[in-house]
Amino acid sequence: MTSKIWTVLKSEFGRRVRSKWFIIMTLAGPVFLIGLMVVPSFVGYLASQSTARTIAVVDGTDVLSQQFVDASNERFQFVPGTEGSGAARSAVEEGTLDGFLVLPAGLLQGEGSATYYSVEGGGLTLEMELQNVLDTVVDDFRLAESNAPREIIELLRSKPELHLLRITEEGEQADSTAASSLIGVIMGFFMYGAMFIYGAYVMHGVMEEKQSRVLEIIVSSVRPFELLMGKVLGIGAMGLLQMGAWAGILLLLTMSAGGIISLFLDPADLNLPAGAGQEELLAAADFALPSFQPSLFIWFLLFFFGGYLLYASLLAAVGSAVEHQQDAQALMLPLTALIIIPILFITVIVESPNTTLSVVLSLIPFFSPILMIVRIAVTSVPFWQVLASFLLLCGTFVGAVWVSSRIYRVGILMYGKRPTIKDLVRWFAYQ
Amino acid sequence: MGLLSVENVVKRYGALTAVDHVSFEAGPGRILGLLGPNGAGKTSTIRMIADITTPDEGRIQYDGRAVGRWSQERMGYLPEERGLYKKMKVGEQLLYLAELKGMSATAARENVKTWLMRFEAEGWSERRTEELSKGMQQKVQFIATVMHEPSLLILDEPFGGLDPINAELLREVIWNLRDDGRCILFASHRMEQVEQLCDDICLVARGRIVLQGPLRDIKRKYGRNTVILEFDGDASFADDLQTAGFVKVLYRSHKRVELKLLNGTSAKGVLERAMSRLNDIHRFELVEPPLHEIFVDVVGKDR
Repeated sequence: MTSKIWTVLKSEFGRRVRSKWFIIMTLAGPVFLIGLMVVPSFVGYLASQSTARTIAVVDGTDVLSQQFVDASNERFQFVPGTEGSGAARSAVEEGTLDGFLVLPAGLLQGEGSATYYSVEGGGLTLEMELQNVLDTVVDDFRLAESNAPREIIELLRSKPELHLLRITEEGEQADSTAASSLIGVIMGFFMYGAMFIYGAYVMHGVMEEKQSRVLEIIVSSVRPFELLMGKVLGIGAMGLLQMGAWAGILLLLTMSAGGIISLFLDPADLNLPAGAGQEELLAAADFALPSFQPSLFIWFLLFFFGGYLLYASLLAAVGSAVEHQQDAQALMLPLTALIIIPILFITVIVESPNTTLSVVLSLIPFFSPILMIVRIAVTSVPFWQVLASFLLLCGTFVGAVWVSSRIYRVGILMYGKRPTIKDLVRWFAYQ
Repeated sequence: MGLLSVENVVKRYGALTAVDHVSFEAGPGRILGLLGPNGAGKTSTIRMIADITTPDEGRIQYDGRAVGRWSQERMGYLPEERGLYKKMKVGEQLLYLAELKGMSATAARENVKTWLMRFEAEGWSERRTEELSKGMQQKVQFIATVMHEPSLLILDEPFGGLDPINAELLREVIWNLRDDGRCILFASHRMEQVEQLCDDICLVARGRIVLQGPLRDIKRKYGRNTVILEFDGDASFADDLQTAGFVKVLYRSHKRVELKLLNGTSAKGVLERAMSRLNDIHRFELVEPPLHEIFVDVVGKDR
């Protein structure tokens, strides 16, 4: 690296990192992100806690209604619906009842099904919880009827558990499909945001220099290529610092994440005794926190580096050609399209990360920073694929930097008319 | 302190030949005025000297070597279209620009301080550029051009946006730099500034040099064919002289006219006419034509 690139890099990095906006975003970013994820579920949790539904049991079997009343818990308050379903319906419509449950006469013999009526509808959680109560009540009654010995009842109570394990190079690990899909999607979007936002910083930086007409002074001291590289690397270094800070803050928070998640889990729902430990809770919920794979983070950094250089240098070429933001839109369009296409494929990749389509998509240089990272997060990608994808990306960004610097060196001296993509091609061809 | 030599330089942009076989030299301790109408190829030529672009043909040498990054560090360039980083503080900005010219931070800090004082701009260091007036920004830009002690200076319209007092200050500074042995290239279309400042001129039109040489020689070649008259009274006598075909009126106000003598008209003849029509004449002088007139004459003929 020449000393001029270093001088530009230092200045770009220094003056951006010292700005108030940078400091605020770096510190407040994770808090904002976590707030975005935690607040809705917390609100939902509070809402679900606050109300026990009052439900009348219109009992066609004549024997179960007391069992239901006994099964009342903090979520459901069961009352006998002795006046029939007509009365219960009007009570629900008046709002004195939340809903009523109709049990047909042949329920215990397996004829017909229980029906729950309410104004507001059910919702998945409600259905699952109500089904649980129904199962327990009916099972208990049947077992008692048949005078089943205590041991049998206990045997039936202890339901076998299913664990999913993944075979990896480091040995068998708890499969954390849900969590790793989530991580894959988050990292994919994060990569997209990082490349796009830091790339846009570069473009605006170039446009600002052009608009303020400081460029012609600068290029009488520095080669345009050096200025371009210094700027791209300086802003890239700023991005790495910012993301490093975010990662550090998030790491601290995740170390206490188990505690936070278990707050939202109720031991009773998971057939665990109240007061079960945090790890038992998480395990029973099948929500294993994925073990941190250092390789994922290393690849993330490498692919960010490649993807950022690729898009930032092309955006710099766009910035060098225009003076005003609105003129940039048309020239940015092809780049915006290239960076958005992989976003559309993230779900496809998460669902089936090893199909030919997924493999091919994750090798294409303009897509690979996002899609290969998603694949690495959700599955074990063969090393040669990751390496091939990364090398292709490197080759492409070297080419992009070369093309961009040729456009850039002409663009920065052009004022006046709004350039088209054809003009950029012509500038590229200039001697 | 070396010689700048531009030899047979050609620069084409697509079908347009912006600079067409241009050759000139500029020596240390002299100011070369590069002048010409808009679009004549001044900026294209300057950019090649500054090694921002490269010639398609011909060569540009400074101090006996082809220009390149080495000469960029010994050169100060003040472009016509110029600006500064708006949000950066003046001190930080000047240090950055000096460092890009290859100066050490310590030396740069010292020079920045000296030059800010010279331009009566102490205490600007901590101010953002956008807080400065246009004239103040011009001074900062000039400091950026000279603070690394370049031996070759390229000044493109350096007086734009300066009030008369600051223009005077800048003129002094430029002369000092010349006397210090710097080689100065001064581009402008303001003829009175060129006349006042330059030792040599180089007139370009449509990519070609149409006139060049020491300013004094050029003016002498045109001879003393211009009469300046300052007076009290009615200036209409000048119009009558023009109508009669004796002179061409170059400048006319209510108490001053400049007349170019045509068709062998004698200065004495003009004076006699003027005396017969005016009450009082304060000044009568036979001079070389103003540069402006030479410019119009040469460029007009070329067209």
